[in-house]
Amino acid sequence: MKYAVAIHGAPYSSQAAEHAVEFMEALFASGHTVERVFFFHEGAYHGLNGQVPPQTQHNTDLRPRWAALKNQGVELGICISSGIKRGVIDASEQQRYELPSLTLANDFQLVGLGQLIAAIEASDRYIEFPA
Amino acid sequence: MKRYLFIISRAPYGSNHAFEQLEAAMVAAAFDGEVHILLRDEAVWCLQVEQNGAAVAQKTLSKVLSALPSFEIEQLHACERSVTSRGVGVSPEISVGLLNLTQQTQLIGESDIVIGGQS
Repeated sequence: MKYAVAIHGAPYSSQAAEHAVEFMEALFASGHTVERVFFFHEGAYHGLNGQVPPQTQHNTDLRPRWAALKNQGVELGICISSGIKRGVIDASEQQRYELPSLTLANDFQLVGLGQLIAAIEASDRYIEFPA
Repeated sequence: MKRYLFIISRAPYGSNHAFEQLEAAMVAAAFDGEVHILLRDEAVWCLQVEQNGAAVAQKTLSKVLSALPSFEIEQLHACERSVTSRGVGVSPEISVGLLNLTQQTQLIGESDIVIGGQS
């Protein structure tokens, strides 16, 4: 089956992303696919490029796991509306708003809300991980 | 196309959640989806008459709700118990149906996609 996944929780203040990553890794292990991960609301913070995972906790660095999902063809889409107001900025938005720096992490991209609906329409199942 | 249900449970203005959920619902409608919205718990305050979002530099949510039909969203529901227990005075400009818990269960069961995003 093909899944669309949405993550609504911020890193390190919610377990939404950890649960979502483990769920997606299990999906691939079972032969399923993921059409797109959509980061909505506070979940947009996952796209920031300056995160330092807590040193005191084990196995909390999601960055290599996001990269692995990206390498498997999963699009990691940050809601542009949720993202830019939280400081998640790609090159295009940096230029548009004349901001001092680009803050979007490499494996992610800013996408419109329509991409959430398009992913749902293209998938057999939709699952969201709330804050 | 799929039948969508957006459930909003958080109060207006305390966060952007209600407005962002409504934005997503409008996009789903623009994709020709059949869109239903259910307000429950603190989100029923979105229905309150005589709101002024400008006082907190936000859009007035009751006006956004009253404009939903122009975005092809005709199905706005609210939890009857949430409305009555809080004494919410529903704005006469909003077309909303009040549902009991059994009807809400049925609405969820009849939906292809349920988008809530809150715990």
